[in-house]
Amino acid sequence: MQNHLCWIDEEKLKEIKNKFPEISIEKFPNATFIYISKERLKDLLKSLKDEFGFKMFIDFTCVDYPESENRFLGVYFLINPKDKQRVGVKCWATNETLPTITDLWKGAKWAEREAYDMFGVRFEGHENLVRMFLWEGYPYYPLRKDFPREGYKTEYLPSLNERNKDYPAHNYDPNHTPLPTLEDLERTQKARIKKKAQMVLNWGPLHPGTHGTIWFIFDMEGEEIKQCDIILGQLHRGIEKLAEELTYTQFIPYTDRMDYISALCSQVAYVNTVEKLLKVEPPPKAKWIRTMMCELQRINSHLLWLGTYALDIGALTIFLYTFREREKLMDIIEGIAGIRLNSSYIRIGGVSKDLPEGALDVIRHFIKDFPEKLKEYETILTKNRVWIRRNVNIGVITEEDVYQYGLTGVVARASGVPYDIRALQPTDAYDKVDFEIPLGTVGDCYDRYLVRMEEMRQSLNIIKQCVEELEKLKDDKYLATENPYVLPTLEEVYLSIESMVKDFNLRIYGEQAPEEEIYLSGENPRGELGFYVVSKGDGKPYRIKIRSGAFYNLQIFTELIKGRTVADAVVLLGSLDPVVGETDR
Amino acid sequence: MELLGVIVGISLKALIFIIGMFLGAAYLTWIERKFAGHIQQRPGPLHVGYHGLLQPIADALKVLTKEDLVPDGVDKFLFYLASLMAFVPAIMILAVVPFGEPFNIFGLEIKPYITDLNIALILALAFGSISIYGVIFAGWASNSKYPMIGGLRKAAVLIGYEVALGFAMVGPIMQAGSFSLKEIVEAQSSYWFIIPNILGFVVILFAILAETGRTPFDVQEAEAELVSGYNTEYTAMKFGLFPLAEWYIATFVLSAIAVILFFGGWQPFPLLGWLPIPGIVWFFIKVFALFMFFLWVHWTLPRYRVDQITELAWKVMLPLALANIFIVALWVIIVG
Repeated sequence: MQNHLCWIDEEKLKEIKNKFPEISIEKFPNATFIYISKERLKDLLKSLKDEFGFKMFIDFTCVDYPESENRFLGVYFLINPKDKQRVGVKCWATNETLPTITDLWKGAKWAEREAYDMFGVRFEGHENLVRMFLWEGYPYYPLRKDFPREGYKTEYLPSLNERNKDYPAHNYDPNHTPLPTLEDLERTQKARIKKKAQMVLNWGPLHPGTHGTIWFIFDMEGEEIKQCDIILGQLHRGIEKLAEELTYTQFIPYTDRMDYISALCSQVAYVNTVEKLLKVEPPPKAKWIRTMMCELQRINSHLLWLGTYALDIGALTIFLYTFREREKLMDIIEGIAGIRLNSSYIRIGGVSKDLPEGALDVIRHFIKDFPEKLKEYETILTKNRVWIRRNVNIGVITEEDVYQYGLTGVVARASGVPYDIRALQPTDAYDKVDFEIPLGTVGDCYDRYLVRMEEMRQSLNIIKQCVEELEKLKDDKYLATENPYVLPTLEEVYLSIESMVKDFNLRIYGEQAPEEEIYLSGENPRGELGFYVVSKGDGKPYRIKIRSGAFYNLQIFTELIKGRTVADAVVLLGSLDPVVGETDR
Repeated sequence: MELLGVIVGISLKALIFIIGMFLGAAYLTWIERKFAGHIQQRPGPLHVGYHGLLQPIADALKVLTKEDLVPDGVDKFLFYLASLMAFVPAIMILAVVPFGEPFNIFGLEIKPYITDLNIALILALAFGSISIYGVIFAGWASNSKYPMIGGLRKAAVLIGYEVALGFAMVGPIMQAGSFSLKEIVEAQSSYWFIIPNILGFVVILFAILAETGRTPFDVQEAEAELVSGYNTEYTAMKFGLFPLAEWYIATFVLSAIAVILFFGGWQPFPLLGWLPIPGIVWFFIKVFALFMFFLWVHWTLPRYRVDQITELAWKVMLPLALANIFIVALWVIIVG
């Protein structure tokens, strides 16, 4: 049995082929797909789940091929956690319908709704097939190839048009893409939940407890929540649609704006995928810098989580204590990347800037300083009776739930599933550093808290090793500019004509990726952030599907909250730790 | 003529008390903000006046001049009444709180309390209970879901803690043999009632935290869950009265009552009686120490869930208060 997560092996494929002779297999260097007909899809998935051990649901999406006979191709990703193998299953959606797999994996519920929302593919047997991000009554399906990027401008909005006459400059379009009206929103809400208990409480979209613009609907009996649903989409920007008209490099800043709290991790996950696709090998120094920055960002993200989580539970002071440390981290990131939050620091083939002088000293100082502060937080919280009462046995997630819902990241690890992409599929320098994966036992909120606290210590450990290594690599290259796919640095552009031509070509035409498909993921602080890139050999991706950890982790919230109170809702939501930028994309 | 003198005297005194309490409460906000600031490693108010000393006045002016919005669909009468209901009873408890012994200035005897009733403690409890209606009315009249949940939560918490509070106060009453706060203080001249009443004091600490809605019991306005709880729909001074009444005046007054019941009121600290410090100063030192304790708790701990709070009230605090009565009864029989 191999140590690292890889794609399904020949042996298993042969067995599957024996069982389902009609399948065809499509192999890419970094992805393996099984084609199956719509009629046999459920059987194949069921046997993959029960017989071949692919019991963990990772992702589902669609790809639109307008020229093809059956326009939409559904793509499923599954993981075998025991043998550490991935598999992709592809199935053409004939007549724009697919069978639902929510009876096999509950986690597919939202993924199918998203596919319905974005492509208009219907799922037979889905319990409540409504829009995921857009509102009820929106007539178009945005991720279809015939939907223009700027949308259909059909609505004349007086509030935007009847302004000062000077205001609209040249090429001002008086029409806009439609916005949801109050009736639309009401219809959207009614479609999600049918009132059964005493009152329906709209918790959000703008509420201090929701960590962003998530709209929860609670149907409550007294303070007990009988049923709940979540309306996402207030922060939906159609990043996947935008990606289709951008070059691979141009898309990097968009990855920042997904999970804005851990921007560097998202960049690394994306850039690694593209590098694998383009077969670019970054220099070792860049790998170590990336690993270090990722872990700095992870501590940063966990600190923000700890502060807001404690704030939700009422401990106001921890918030400022964690922000004290987070501010130092922000300064370090700003010093290295130039920007605090959405840094766009990682480039294809390396990083955008070399480490500035003294950066390692500052980080070393932080490493020395931080364990003491961590102890300080733990002194206030870990053994605090109120904290324990609020956290222990709240929102217990079992191992089965993890596989059913495709939960990843801390949420999975707190339930005892050692699912950590850093260890399973090491990218960058993760295979060279030494760290442990903290695991929980019960899977309640308290375990998730403990796991995150321990993870900060482990991250610190990794940073320490990175700093030691980077000290040795001081004068190395940080960007593999000799590679034809890597943008040259500014000095090179100014000094040599070849670099200038290369820069021009890459910026205008993009990186001409081979015709290939790839799925690769990175370990975000919020779970597995996967990128499924379909390349048609252009400078632009044909389709990018972003598998967001927060999106899948949030899905279990509606189950966990049943029979609990509003006070537990904040605890649960805090411990699942979604970031709306990533769930909505 | 004598009656007129009494009326004028009491009115003057009441005026001084009310204005004093207003100013005092305003500056309690400053103290809290400074204290919280230093707990959280930030300076707190700093720019208005020396170390932000004029900040409370600026805040008061701001709150008073803000637009007073009344949302559509509220029950207007109750909506207005609620903020007064929260505020007025809290300040009325002051009428029975003695701050010190009577003293003479220019041959005129001045009593540093408005009135010394023989049912003072019961009156204080009654006023305390009335002020809860403010919160419940606010929650109901707002015609909104978050305030209503907040108001109901507060009602659930208070029903539990009023009982425990009442029983915890029985101990000192048994020892002093009187409901009059002045007589309770005078009865503590030899030793403070904290000695057999330690359980009662613990119960009262919890009850004050719960009654005034401070963390770990601030469920009624848990901002992460209920936006702002019962006062979500309030603006301007109607809004300002709630925290003023709950967090400052009620906390202060209940601290004063706890000091009177357990720490000898204006009696000096043991062994420090020789210091030339008037009783009223001793009293304020003790009250402030207790007040700061509540601030300390508030800015350190997370908050309980409402069912855990009521569970604590009925399963822990009430038995403790009853045990306290038993212990004090034994003490009274044995020691005298």
